[in-house]
Amino acid sequence: MSQAEPARPDPDALAELAAREGRGRLKVFLGAAPGVGKTMEMLIEGRRLLAAGRDVVIGLVETHGRAETEAAIAPLPRQPLKAIAYRGRVLHEFDLDAALARRPAILLLDELAHSNAPGSRHAKRWQDVEELRDGGIEVWTTMNVQHLESSAEAVARVTGVRVAETVPDAVLKGADAVELVDIPPAELLERMRAGKIYRPEQAERALRGFFKEGALAALRELALRRTADRVDADVTSWMRRNAVAGPWPVGDRVLALIPGGAAAEPVLHQARRLADALHAPLLALHVEQPGQAEDPGPGIALAQQLGAETEVTTATDLPAAIIAHARARRATHIILGRGAPVWWRRMLGRRLIASLARQAPEFTLHVVPSPAAARAPAPPRAWPGWTAWLVVPLLVGGATLACALLDGMVPDAAFGMVYLAAIVAIAATVGPLQAGAGAVLAFLAWNFLFLPPRYTLTIASAQDVLGAVVFGAVAALLAGTTGRLGRNVRSAALRLAALRRLTALSRRLNAQASMPELQMAVVEEAARIAGGPACLLLPLDEALEASLPGQFAREAALPAEPVPRAAYPADAAPDDGAMAAARWALARGRPAGRGTATLPTSAWRFLPLTALREGEVVTLGLLGLRPGAEVPDPEADRALEALLDQAAVALERARLADIAANARARGQTEALRTALLTSLGHDLRTPLTTIRGAAETLRSAGPALNEATRADLLSSIEEEATRLARWMSAILDIVRLETGQVTPRREPVDLAEAMQAAAERAALTYPEREIQRDLRAGLPHPRLDPALLDRVLENVLDNALKYSAPTGGVRLSAVREGAEVMLRVEDDGPGIPPEDLPRIFDPFFRAARADSIAAGSGLGLSICRGLVAAMGGRITAESPIAAGRGTRITLRFPA
Amino acid sequence: MTVAPLSVLVVDDEPQIHRFLGPALEAAGYAPLRAETAREGLRLAAARGPACVLLDLGLPDMDGKEALARLRAFSQVPVIVVSARDREAEKVAALDAGADDYVEKPFGLAELLARLRAATRRALLVEAPVPLVTAGPLEVDLERRRARVLGQEMALTPREWELLAALARNLGRVVTQRRLLGEIWGPAHVEDSQYLRVYVGQLRAKLGPAARLLRTEPGVGYRLLEADG
Repeated sequence: MSQAEPARPDPDALAELAAREGRGRLKVFLGAAPGVGKTMEMLIEGRRLLAAGRDVVIGLVETHGRAETEAAIAPLPRQPLKAIAYRGRVLHEFDLDAALARRPAILLLDELAHSNAPGSRHAKRWQDVEELRDGGIEVWTTMNVQHLESSAEAVARVTGVRVAETVPDAVLKGADAVELVDIPPAELLERMRAGKIYRPEQAERALRGFFKEGALAALRELALRRTADRVDADVTSWMRRNAVAGPWPVGDRVLALIPGGAAAEPVLHQARRLADALHAPLLALHVEQPGQAEDPGPGIALAQQLGAETEVTTATDLPAAIIAHARARRATHIILGRGAPVWWRRMLGRRLIASLARQAPEFTLHVVPSPAAARAPAPPRAWPGWTAWLVVPLLVGGATLACALLDGMVPDAAFGMVYLAAIVAIAATVGPLQAGAGAVLAFLAWNFLFLPPRYTLTIASAQDVLGAVVFGAVAALLAGTTGRLGRNVRSAALRLAALRRLTALSRRLNAQASMPELQMAVVEEAARIAGGPACLLLPLDEALEASLPGQFAREAALPAEPVPRAAYPADAAPDDGAMAAARWALARGRPAGRGTATLPTSAWRFLPLTALREGEVVTLGLLGLRPGAEVPDPEADRALEALLDQAAVALERARLADIAANARARGQTEALRTALLTSLGHDLRTPLTTIRGAAETLRSAGPALNEATRADLLSSIEEEATRLARWMSAILDIVRLETGQVTPRREPVDLAEAMQAAAERAALTYPEREIQRDLRAGLPHPRLDPALLDRVLENVLDNALKYSAPTGGVRLSAVREGAEVMLRVEDDGPGIPPEDLPRIFDPFFRAARADSIAAGSGLGLSICRGLVAAMGGRITAESPIAAGRGTRITLRFPA
Repeated sequence: MTVAPLSVLVVDDEPQIHRFLGPALEAAGYAPLRAETAREGLRLAAARGPACVLLDLGLPDMDGKEALARLRAFSQVPVIVVSARDREAEKVAALDAGADDYVEKPFGLAELLARLRAATRRALLVEAPVPLVTAGPLEVDLERRRARVLGQEMALTPREWELLAALARNLGRVVTQRRLLGEIWGPAHVEDSQYLRVYVGQLRAKLGPAARLLRTEPGVGYRLLEADG
């Protein structure tokens, strides 16, 4: 390495290290078989650290009744087990919550591959371990190599026993330390026979199983190799972290192609081992193809479990799609299965391998043998089983009947066409095999009945021989292509239906204006897809979080409590047991409950709704489902996944809209406060200056002033004091209205009477002005607050009279219009400039500032709007109303 | 023989203000002129040459500073601006733009008349400067650069003297911090108001019984009063 280019630590390696920090360490005591002494080794080391003053606690250790193990446990503190009732029995299990609460420095937990009793939080113990590590607790555990996911296949081949309890490779890979506990197979067998491992009756069974020297040797090799890989990986990782130029391979990337169905498993396990051996990242790809019948779901899930970066694409040209993906992801190795043992599919598989080899010579191809026993289940057909074969004689017979009827009317050669039609029909409705059989049957019938010489299977003329050959070729071609076409059309139709449903859902979610409506739409849709009750749970502190600044909210975030916000049907609510799963799912942002690995005995399944918020994945809430069917339906799962994505986006959008609305409301309050302050400054000062100045003038220069001046100064004091009082009550009204402190009393109001009274009062203030009244008989008596209505009318009338001064007329009218009653106040003053019209109901807005005598506080109409709204009505203004002049204020109330 | 009353132009858009100021100014011996807009005020100032202008800064047709600048373009008439208490920046800007003094709404009549007197006197002094300024127990002899309190000679540093003299020359009127700093410490120090606080403190200590005459106008500047008020 040259001086000019200093070695930099690999960022990936540093990031991995950082992710490990803060988490509890994991140490795995790995063995080749039971009885090698993993547990003993763990206990001895635990005792050593306990003696050194560390807080070492046993979570659970299986003694298998072995005396030496019992003795080794004794000095270590033990955490009580949890009793779980299951089908009338009491099972004792490791108590995860107690351990999380106790928070020991080191927790010893035997048998990493153990499956928890039904009713536990997690299905598997390794999940408990992950949660303990998340909680900052260091965990020591034991495991046999045959339980490692990627070894299971190899172990099954060697021992003939397939283990059900497996641990994902990622768990072992994520362990901070792996200690191999190893003894030679002969010694192990010796211990076995001495009854040190199993009780005698179990030992007998085990010896017949994989406790054979050969099998044990193979397992031992496997364990040694795994540990060696692991040591190698540790060295590599250390070298990368510390920027040591080393021999680790650069740029190798393994791409596994996930086939549908059971064939995926050997391919992926092989790919994992290859990637590990090459220290290369593992990628996995599934290409969806039209007409594909086998479910890729388990394969994709396994790929993710094996730590592969998994992608799914859709393509018709399989080799091209694979090569494009491999090139885009810079893969160097492609690993694929040999294909299912059906002949035509094997052909397809061969074709795929051949075309990959031909078109992309830069990749190393690995072909994995397919498991002989694992025959893929037959793809679903439109016609189930043997009924499909009934179609063949029916249609060929029908064609023969048609030919017999047409015999003599058309040339004999045309009969071939009739039979071809029948074959096309068979291919399109049932399948290629049946079509092939149909073609043979049709040819025989045609030849026997209609080709000369008739009633023999011989063909006389060369012409007819040629015709028969062409018939055979066309029939075979048609059988193949039409069949495929039919399948493609069916699968396209399915896809189209799914797509259409997705679009409809998206439209439906986008159409919801408010949060509650949106939540309702989500649960209804979920209930429809899942075929059972559904509910939506959101964290309790959502509102709080929105109001707190980010950093604080995150710190204050206690485990959020999920609260059901919407349910379909409305009374569907998760029970207490299910809520435990919900709490876990919300805290982790991972699915929990029925059909998942966590708390699977709960009646409900909870799926997290996640969104990206400031670059972090946030769990917005949970979708709770109580599935109707026992067996999960992959089609429904896909639809649910789409729903989750859509719902999360819609919820996040609604939340942002809420925040924006709040900000807007705050902005409006802010604007009001500013306007209020400005008004305080302006409207308070002038009357106060006038009152003070007039009073001082009167006191200091009173005798020198004439009578009229003195009277004028006195009345100016009175007027200004009145103006102040009016302004004060207007301000109080506005503040009360804006803070929602006006609660109208409601009683039937005689509108004619109310308007009459207001008009008469206005006439007292403006005796020389004309107020026309047009009050129809039979007006409804809406339920309003008479005092508030009176103030509104007084204000609007006063405005009309003021702005149409000095001689303009004012008209007052009331009419019923549909479900509303409308009160109108019109004047023929100069009107309101169009640019001011939208703002005249805003607080402190004053139209036509020039005639400052008429201009009041600028609060009148704003108060009217508030009062009308408080009574459930609306107030609007129009101007001009006739010949460029006049203003009309309309009040509308529900009749 | 009677001296013709000094005319005072009041520019304010509130009719209520004119309603009491008119009689009040007349009673105090001034001849009030009334304008409700800045344009009207400028026209009257040019046509009638008032002895003093009372200018409201919140006029509907023109910004107060703009009106002041236009007035100063043709006249050195003393200007008292009328402004709100909470608008320090506006007041200082107006004073720096050439106003002579200010009053805050709501103002008292006595205060306004005292400002008017100070402003109109300065206008007269421009022609015949009086070297001896008296304010209560304080005598400032601007010619001989000497100051006495109750007949007792004051021992002042040169800077303290400059400060006292600047305030005495503007007896009864506010002098902004910027102006004091610029005149005494030079244009580079117009923002260093901490100098001023220190020297005003020292000066107050030396003024003894006359210290209360040196008034701080918070956020604006300092004022030397003629007498306790």
